[in-house]
Amino acid sequence: MTQPILEVNDLKTHFPIRQGLFRRQTGTVLAVDGVTLYVDPHETLGVVGESGCGKTTLGRSILRLIEPTAGTVTYRGESVTGADKDRMRQLRKEMQIVFQDPYASLNPRMPVRDIIAEPLRIHGMDRKEANDRVGALLGKVGMMADHGNRYPHEFSGGQRQRIGIARALVLDPSLIILDEPVSALDVSIQAQVINLLEEIQDEFGLSFVFIAHDLSVVRHISDRVAVMYLGQVVELADRNQLYETPAHPYTSSLLSAVPVADPNAERERKRILLEGDLPSPANPPSGCRFHTRCPIAQDVCRVDPPELREVSAGHWAACHFPTGPGDSLINQVQRLGRDLRLVEAREH
Amino acid sequence: MTAPLLSVKDLSVTFRSDDGDLTAVRGMSFDVMPGEVLAVVGESGSGKSVTSLAIMGLLPRSARVSGSAMFDGRELIGADLKQLRKIRGKDIAMIFQDPMTALNPVFTIGSQIVEAITLHNDMSDKAAWERATELLNLVGIPDPKRRVKLYPHEYSGGMRQRAMIAMAMANEPKLLIADEPTTALDVTIQAQVLQVIRKAQAVTGAAMVLITHDLGVVAGLADRVNVMYAGAVFESGDIDDIFYRTANPYTLGLLGSIPILTARVSDKLTPIPGAPPNLRRLPEGCPFRPRCVFATEVCHGSEPDLMAVNGGRHRSRCYHIDKVAEARAGSTV
Ligand SMILES: Nc1ncnc2c1ncn2[C@@H]1O[C@H](COP(=O)(O)OP(=O)(O)OP(=O)(O)O)[C@@H](O)[C@H]1O
Ligand SMILES: Nc1ncnc2c1ncn2[C@@H]1O[C@H](COP(=O)(O)OP(=O)(O)OP(=O)(O)O)[C@@H](O)[C@H]1O
Ligand SMILES: [Mg+2]
Ligand SMILES: [Mg+2]
Repeated sequence: MTQPILEVNDLKTHFPIRQGLFRRQTGTVLAVDGVTLYVDPHETLGVVGESGCGKTTLGRSILRLIEPTAGTVTYRGESVTGADKDRMRQLRKEMQIVFQDPYASLNPRMPVRDIIAEPLRIHGMDRKEANDRVGALLGKVGMMADHGNRYPHEFSGGQRQRIGIARALVLDPSLIILDEPVSALDVSIQAQVINLLEEIQDEFGLSFVFIAHDLSVVRHISDRVAVMYLGQVVELADRNQLYETPAHPYTSSLLSAVPVADPNAERERKRILLEGDLPSPANPPSGCRFHTRCPIAQDVCRVDPPELREVSAGHWAACHFPTGPGDSLINQVQRLGRDLRLVEAREH
Repeated sequence: MTAPLLSVKDLSVTFRSDDGDLTAVRGMSFDVMPGEVLAVVGESGSGKSVTSLAIMGLLPRSARVSGSAMFDGRELIGADLKQLRKIRGKDIAMIFQDPMTALNPVFTIGSQIVEAITLHNDMSDKAAWERATELLNLVGIPDPKRRVKLYPHEYSGGMRQRAMIAMAMANEPKLLIADEPTTALDVTIQAQVLQVIRKAQAVTGAAMVLITHDLGVVAGLADRVNVMYAGAVFESGDIDDIFYRTANPYTLGLLGSIPILTARVSDKLTPIPGAPPNLRRLPEGCPFRPRCVFATEVCHGSEPDLMAVNGGRHRSRCYHIDKVAEARAGSTV
């Protein structure tokens, strides 16, 4: 068995809510609340979920850009959460992050060359060598060497994202956490950047944690996928397993909500419409956090939080009533005699 | 044959500024038939929003608008404000990506819907409040009797979007213009809101112009599609023409750029090379030419017209329609 490059164990990141004159703590946001997962070498783990479910907090907590509240992170068998300051600096060379909005993360007063080279200088490489490396990397991400003399505002969103990727690559990392790297881009540019990521992954043998809310993009790029809901992983599986035989009712509902760019498919589709809005992670529902919106919730779900269990080889789900193979959420709802808030596809 | 509800002819919009003029919409022509859903797709900056704002007379003074937009027998371009106010919110209603552009934070949702109703109808206050509650119910706001008295900030994002739709439907408009109505929403909330839009449209029989960059939303909602690039329609046709009998290189590029949710093997995406055009300096000839894999010498000459494909309503702005059709037929999607 290969050793995973990254292991996350029962990770929790809680934020205090402070209010009033004395900034007294009045509550806690359970942004990440007990996440366990691993990433293999050269693998892409997709992380999906709706806004506020804790994806960004998870990504940053793994790199300790936000200090986790509890749990452990392990990189190639070495404790990240236990590393001291010096060791952490070394580890950050190995693990990089790319943000959604490259503009906010690029210093507007620095030419692109210096932005990309900055980590090299921090780690003591001389200027000439650094410049050569930056020139080569600009080529790798599909830009020209003389682009290095320009400033971030002179570039389009797609180009800025390429710059962000070049900067992440400069220290020759093994793992890159990509937080919504293509969400802000137009589709034609999004496809360019996705292809670029796939190419550099092959070329440099990288592992990716790919965070996104677009389920089609995540299926395309990932080997395995984790689905998050209110700070927790509710399902984790090989991508085709997850998309074709989802076991968790939240995954099923999420997939059925995604519009597909194929009119014939849309005409035939039946949608499970989830009721209500996302609850707040400051005040999550008791028992299973999904029970307030779940079409098959039962009494036990209101009291007993389900554990993430292996429902078939490599396929994990946190549900008391996971959908079995050959079954479907729609059938489950019907067997319970519940009103199916099913929406027939468009009329014609 | 029925007459179009909205007929736009040769609409152009130019913004003047110190760095030179920017023509955001270049000679757009299209019709919207009664009751039909026309999707307008295209990437950021292609002129989708400016087109609809021009039709509604909502552009700033710095915009020079020319051409014609006939709505139900009335000319909208150049119409005076008094005439436009009579039409806006009554016969034509708009919904936006950000509901707070339409909702006033200091009034209750109910009083804003009531105002929209009484502005255009002779109706008692009591009847208008009842109608407002009914409308909230129609768009699926739970407990509408109570929520009609709440303020926008007391609604969630998805609920505000629904309230704005309720307000837009208040006077049973003949045409609804929806500019990215679900783009800011989470996918499960988006599915709810799209369903509300479908239902509201079916109940009132309104026609709709749906502006979006999401081809999935288009596939689930539209009857016809205008694909825009650089301020012009590049392809126009029934939804199946656009998706299955694609006749324009730009549309083909868009379709090749998006991963399909249901695809088991992920073939490499085929993005459009290069970057979107600079509207201040469009290239000679076809504006898509620098990014087009089908381009030849002829594309450097004059910009192609929007030409009929197979003589029907399906049209494409391209000199190489046949080659595109061949490539489309050969691809797996
Ligand atoms: N520094 C912070 N202090 C307090 N609460 C925070 C902080 N950062 C995030 N949160 C809260 O934690 C929860 C998870 O946020 P996070 O940004 O991780 O979600 P996300 O899944 O990345 O969402 P999105 O898809 O919108 O990016 C949210 O409720 C958010 O408001
Ligand atoms: N008030 C304005 N003054 C000057 N230029 C403008 C103005 N409004 C829009 N533009 C420009 O007109 C062009 C078309 O803009 P428009 O908003 O119609 O794009 P869009 O297709 O709706 O894009 P998006 O998908 O980003 O909403 C853009 O280049 C934009 O910068
Ligand atoms: Mg985030
Ligand atoms: Mg727009």
